[in-house]
Amino acid sequence: MMRLNRSKKAITLTALAASVALVATMVPAQASTDKVGVTSKTIKLGISQPTTGPASAGYNKVAPAMNSYFKYVNDNGGINGRKIELIIKNDGYVVQRAVNESAALVDEGVFALVGSLGTANNTAVAEFLDLKSTGLPSLFVNTGFSGFSVKKDYPTMFSLFPSYYMEAKIFSEYIKKNFPGKKVGVIYQADDFGVDALAGLAQGGITLTEKIAYASLSQGTPSVGQSWITKLKTANVEVVIFYGVPSAVAAALRTAAALAYKPQWIVTSVGSDYTTLTGLGVTNAMLDGVVTGSFLPAPTDDADPYVKLFKTIHTKYGTGAFDSNILTGMNTAMMTANAIKAAGPNLTRSGLIRAIETKGRTFASASLTPPTYSTTSHAGYAGFWLAQINSSGVMVPESGKYKVYTTDAGKGAVKVSTYKRPAMPAKGLPK
Amino acid sequence: MNQFISSILIGFSQGSIYALMALALVLVFRSTRVVNFAQAGQAMVSTYIGWEVINRTGSYWLAIPIAALGGAILAVIVQNFLMRPLSKRTSEGAIAPVANIIVTLGLLGVLHSGAAIIWGSEEKLLTSPVSTNGFKIGENVYPFSATDVLIIITSVIVMLIFAFIFKKTNLGLALRAAAFQPEISRLAGIRVDRVQTIGWAFSGAAGAVAGVLIAPGSYLNPYSLDILLVFGFVAAVIGGLDSLVGAAVGGIVLGLTLSFTSQYVGTALTFVVPFVVLLVVLLLRPNGLLGGRSSRNA
Amino acid sequence: MHNHHRRRLIGFAIVGILLFLLSNRVGVLRLYQGSTVSMYVIAIGSIVLLTGFSGQISLGNGAFMALGAYIAVLLQTYLSLPLVLTFFVAVLGAAFFGLILGVAAARLSGPYLAGTTLALAVALPSLVNQFPVLGGEQGLMFNAGSAPEWLGEVSRFKWLFWISTLAAIIACIGIQNILKSRYGRTWKAVRSNSTAAELSGISSARSKVLAFVISAGIAGLAGVVLALTAGTVAPGAFPLSLSFAIITGAVIAGISSLLPGSVVGAVVLVGMSQLVGTFTSRFQMGDILAENLKELIVSALLILAVVFTPNGPGEKIRAMREHRKHHSHGGVR
Repeated sequence: MMRLNRSKKAITLTALAASVALVATMVPAQASTDKVGVTSKTIKLGISQPTTGPASAGYNKVAPAMNSYFKYVNDNGGINGRKIELIIKNDGYVVQRAVNESAALVDEGVFALVGSLGTANNTAVAEFLDLKSTGLPSLFVNTGFSGFSVKKDYPTMFSLFPSYYMEAKIFSEYIKKNFPGKKVGVIYQADDFGVDALAGLAQGGITLTEKIAYASLSQGTPSVGQSWITKLKTANVEVVIFYGVPSAVAAALRTAAALAYKPQWIVTSVGSDYTTLTGLGVTNAMLDGVVTGSFLPAPTDDADPYVKLFKTIHTKYGTGAFDSNILTGMNTAMMTANAIKAAGPNLTRSGLIRAIETKGRTFASASLTPPTYSTTSHAGYAGFWLAQINSSGVMVPESGKYKVYTTDAGKGAVKVSTYKRPAMPAKGLPK
Repeated sequence: MNQFISSILIGFSQGSIYALMALALVLVFRSTRVVNFAQAGQAMVSTYIGWEVINRTGSYWLAIPIAALGGAILAVIVQNFLMRPLSKRTSEGAIAPVANIIVTLGLLGVLHSGAAIIWGSEEKLLTSPVSTNGFKIGENVYPFSATDVLIIITSVIVMLIFAFIFKKTNLGLALRAAAFQPEISRLAGIRVDRVQTIGWAFSGAAGAVAGVLIAPGSYLNPYSLDILLVFGFVAAVIGGLDSLVGAAVGGIVLGLTLSFTSQYVGTALTFVVPFVVLLVVLLLRPNGLLGGRSSRNA
Repeated sequence: MHNHHRRRLIGFAIVGILLFLLSNRVGVLRLYQGSTVSMYVIAIGSIVLLTGFSGQISLGNGAFMALGAYIAVLLQTYLSLPLVLTFFVAVLGAAFFGLILGVAAARLSGPYLAGTTLALAVALPSLVNQFPVLGGEQGLMFNAGSAPEWLGEVSRFKWLFWISTLAAIIACIGIQNILKSRYGRTWKAVRSNSTAAELSGISSARSKVLAFVISAGIAGLAGVVLALTAGTVAPGAFPLSLSFAIITGAVIAGISSLLPGSVVGAVVLVGMSQLVGTFTSRFQMGDILAENLKELIVSALLILAVVFTPNGPGEKIRAMREHRKHHSHGGVR
């Protein structure tokens, strides 16, 4: 009897609770989120990236550099009277933490995410935060993955960097012209990084004598570099393409020097940052002659008005030596400022996205290759210029001045670009 | 042929480092029946001490003994103030069989984060005191340099010192007795507690030397020696986990296996190989290649 | 007994409903943290069962989580199975891999098992990169779909929170039933005295393998939940630190306490980083300090927990009470 009583009570209780719950779900729909994070005085932006941890080397300079540029803009009156506030979150380059930190940014009411780093991280954030239906913009993500430029899948996201695939196609062209008939090999990180690169090289028509894949982070194991080099040497490879992060590139260059192996090195733009490499024990002699690519001017090019401005801003607002990471960060921030300015005084999320789609191609930035935004594509810059590093560690453009190659994400040919970068607006402020 | 010789040379020089790490694990296991998962962390902190010495004095030669001393002191602290009180407090309940494993894991975390707070997580470079350029024989340059010779010689010296202590001194006798029959040793008047502490100290020193030797070939950051823990453990198990000679042999076996698979199969398998080797050894020769009599249920 | 059982179920129902009510009142960050707590509860449950009852330790349950997640995402991508079935098969799949390793490891105990599972956790991510079908470092998308229409307009993150919480509740009911069953008692018997258990006819090897298999399956479930909330499955989501974190969570509130132990452990893991984050930003500490202080505190907490409350605070309090009782008895006499 008592048991019956109790279960009856429980059922009543459950039913009651369930009905309360149902009522609770029927809260009125939230007010429009199109203007979240914008007041008449401020715009709140957020970025999730690794400030610390094994994957943070070099990358941890990007967000502070963005902040320096925003501070510079703010000190010059802001954009349409609004000052930009950038909230920087540290995700240690771990997927779950990237989602957590981005959710925290949403809770703190950011208007848009900008420059968030990592392919897997950005995929996860887009999925959990449901960018598609919430309309939260995620601008100029820091990855070479081409998928984020597909508007259908990621309507609020914008790529910025040219993809590894494009870079590999351009490298192929360079090899065919400068090293015809030589044996070519490739070392690549065994993930999408390498897969993209292999696809690009195949599209570029390069025959590979030796393909060496390595597990990411295994470059810290000393014997790994030695086995790469022994293999390449045994196969008499004369041109080596490297698709990996700086610590792996450093392991290869150092071992090659130790084994007196001197091929022509061609290193991906993300693996060739001079300050990072020298910090890892690579000497100028090892770097002498290495070919690499970039879409920004060389960080040492003081004649370039953008580089000059960014250096001045860095001296005033930043710390540490100026390098390509800082250049990248400032450039991303400048693109962001352009987009906000172009969206007009009545700033909304949808307006911001429309502004990049319609006017993004004309934004002034340091990039020597053209942005390709349109109402159908969210792809960013579409090319590289190639350089050879000289004995004092400076990137010397092929044939003396920046010669920019462009290509597409498909089977299109590699062409020499005729793009003329917009002149830097007064004081480097968005106009 | 070149490739074959290269594999052997790389295998020996890397293997001797794994052997030192295995030795460190075995020394602790023998004296206190603990597999010290914090060994990687202790070696890492000791290597940072070595790095500081090189930074201040410019001498790698001075860095080796000071790091070893630092490693020994750290190990004594860990043993005296953490592991010994722990074994008294956790003799009962569900935690008993796993308490020391869990605590060494916690210690590894403390050392990781502590080192990152003190030295930052950016990679540090230890430059080898001798040339890293491979020896040249005829037209061929082999992946074997003066640095590799240094690695092998140093490892051998450390092992010879241990061999001498264990075989020829009273301390060694006490160490061996306390390892295998602690109760009887106690009755025989051996101060088992002190002997155990000495075992830990030796282990800390061996791990430190392994760290200082491996760092010039790669980089040093708070996490960079973790993989050495896995390699060292596998090497130790190959040798039977409580044999010092076994640890040395296990290290070389693992070093050769790794260098041959990287040369002939691929470097993408670097982290998979130790797991496979471990499983194979445990299934086929559960007591190690040298085959002791004790069971795996220690 | 039946009564007990029913009361427990009612308890779970009430908790579920409360969480459901709460989910409509909080922001996206809390919902994500809630989903993460659910994931940790399940993962910690797998350790409680394995270590707290069967006396074995695995440093590689993160690897079984990865297995569950990858199986689920492959089923979802290539067969587009319904979500419930996906969960089910993924759990079975992870358990199957647990069986393979469990049989191989049956002779192992303590440090050997710990080392072997550690090597597995290190090997698995780079193994993933060997098979292009698994999507490499970038991983594979995992789309759990949206809430069914009859629920009205429900945001994605709320929907994911509900699924994770439901999975955690079901997992807890399941684990609790197993632990209260014959198997749970067998494990305990083998753990405390394997010789005696063998004498009374229990095969200690078989009992250990069974625990290992079930634990792997539960870890697989946790992996699916993790993949679900992250919307993607990538090797980077299963670092060694994940395996260590769930052990920490399991130890903090008592290694053999499923409830409330695993919930307390999960909340501490998630809450601690928030707490330390707030603290470090309040006092304007540097990034490196802020970041590592978190790990330092959690690791120190783990050590302190084992040293001072080896079998959990619950056990400790019980022991103290017992002690006092004995003491007062003595006084009367």
